[in-house]
Amino acid sequence: MDLTLLLQGILSGILASGLYALVSVGLALAIGVIGIVNFAHGEFFMVGAFLAYQLFISFGFDPVLSLFFVAPALFILGALIYRSSIQFVLKAPELNQMLLTFGIGIILQNLALVIWGGDPRSISNVPYRSIGYQVGGVSIGLVPLASFLISIFIVAGLYFVLLKTPLGRAMRAVAQNRTGASLVGLEVNRIYLLAFALSAALAGLGGVMIAVIQSPTPVVGFAFTLKAFAIVVLAGLGNIRGILGASLLVALAESLVATLVPDGDSLRNAVFFAIIFVVLIVRSRRQA
Amino acid sequence: MKALEVKNLSAFYGKIQVLWDVSFEVEEGEFVTIIGANGAGKTTLLKSISGLISNKKGTVTAFGKSIEQLSAAKIVRSHIGHVPEGRQLFHLMTVLENLESGADYLPHAKREAAKTKAYVYSLFPRLKEREKQLAGTLSGGERQMLAIGRALMTKPKLLLVDEPSLGLAPALTKTVFQALKTINQEGVTIVLVEQNVLQSLKAAQRAYVLENGEVVKSAEASSLLNDPEIQAAYLAI
Ligand SMILES: Nc1ncnc2c1ncn2[C@@H]1O[C@H](COP(=O)(O)OP(=O)(O)O)[C@@H](O)[C@H]1O
Ligand SMILES: [Mg+2]
Repeated sequence: MDLTLLLQGILSGILASGLYALVSVGLALAIGVIGIVNFAHGEFFMVGAFLAYQLFISFGFDPVLSLFFVAPALFILGALIYRSSIQFVLKAPELNQMLLTFGIGIILQNLALVIWGGDPRSISNVPYRSIGYQVGGVSIGLVPLASFLISIFIVAGLYFVLLKTPLGRAMRAVAQNRTGASLVGLEVNRIYLLAFALSAALAGLGGVMIAVIQSPTPVVGFAFTLKAFAIVVLAGLGNIRGILGASLLVALAESLVATLVPDGDSLRNAVFFAIIFVVLIVRSRRQA
Repeated sequence: MKALEVKNLSAFYGKIQVLWDVSFEVEEGEFVTIIGANGAGKTTLLKSISGLISNKKGTVTAFGKSIEQLSAAKIVRSHIGHVPEGRQLFHLMTVLENLESGADYLPHAKREAAKTKAYVYSLFPRLKEREKQLAGTLSGGERQMLAIGRALMTKPKLLLVDEPSLGLAPALTKTVFQALKTINQEGVTIVLVEQNVLQSLKAAQRAYVLENGEVVKSAEASSLLNDPEIQAAYLAI
């Protein structure tokens, strides 16, 4: 086996895992704290990507600068969607909740298609997009490297908030026991709103990066919803700490298959779901 | 002043009515118990008072303030603590974190959190020993102590306690009831609902009897202990 190719595959996998973790951790937050399975998560990601694209086209904003605009914009979008719909279905059957979020996703996707059309868009002409480094035959693009570092930084920031701040403890309290949380003075609905908005903001931040890494169309969201789900399931539903490891595992598997298997690039999504099948089957056998 | 005044309280789960025009009063500093069989509506009554149930009619006044419209989070700010059925602890947090969370979101409680914590530990030294342990790994008795401790951390003037003896060995039940008496002697008004009628009548000053969602009797606790009807129905003498 070609060692350089193997190293390249591993490195690409590691770099991709950062973005996966960023998107998945938002989904895990919504599931863990609110208990809502949000099929529109990938669409928040997509909206983030196209906002960054628009900020670049209209005002020449560098994507790094756009991060600071997209995060609050998606936070507000998430809050509005929570207030106008999600909060009313919290006690509804799960199927109804899924249908609702699925519908929200379709609406966002179609709005984006109306606004931006169906062609791939990307923030292509930033000067650093083509910068790369060669280390012993393995190449590292500056953009994937930066997106990895920024993503990990944000995920670490979220972990810090959850584990070390009063707001984070409030979110954990609500996640672990709603009744107990309201009896110690927490307005549970307000914490849900914050968690959902934060979840949307995290997805949006990931979207900004995909607009530089790839050339997304408005339908990019669904694939990322599925990938994020796969990672969340692998980590254990609602387990936020497990997200980093799960992201690394699936990103590595995806990247290794894509680089080492002939025609492997078209197998990328299959790899994701093969892993999920195995995990689900092994887990349910263990429980049985 | 009255600590609690409940008037014509009815409560519902969906369309099913569970409490029927319940009225009772508690003076400040009193220790009152509400006894009743399984399914009588004791838990529903406490949940209606503390705001966990909003589908209700009637009035609830605590320390002169009308609270029946408020959310649970607001009612705890009106100095009403609730030790709920099932304890409702944060099972992935430590004993210490559970206690601190009782005071964290209430400015008046937060200011005195260190003092209250020391008091809780003096009531339940076992909790201090288990400070770093996750709540989910505690024994039934320890969980009950923690639930009481967490409620105390909110600095209640009125404490609602739901069946603390449930699932506890007699020795532990005694410890918990003793602690409730001590808490009451320090000036906290207590409303205790129980199936363990003997223990609660011994601990309380006054009692109400709840049957099928209605108050059917009220009296001094000591006189109920000698009431033939009560003895036959609840004390199995
Ligand atoms: N969530 C619920 N939905 C419907 N009925 C309920 C619910 N909780 C309790 N009940 C009913 O309300 C009545 C009173 O229950 P509860 O207040 O728990 O009684 P207790 O605490 O005295 O045992 C019971 O008949 C019970 O079946
Ligand atoms: Mg009960």
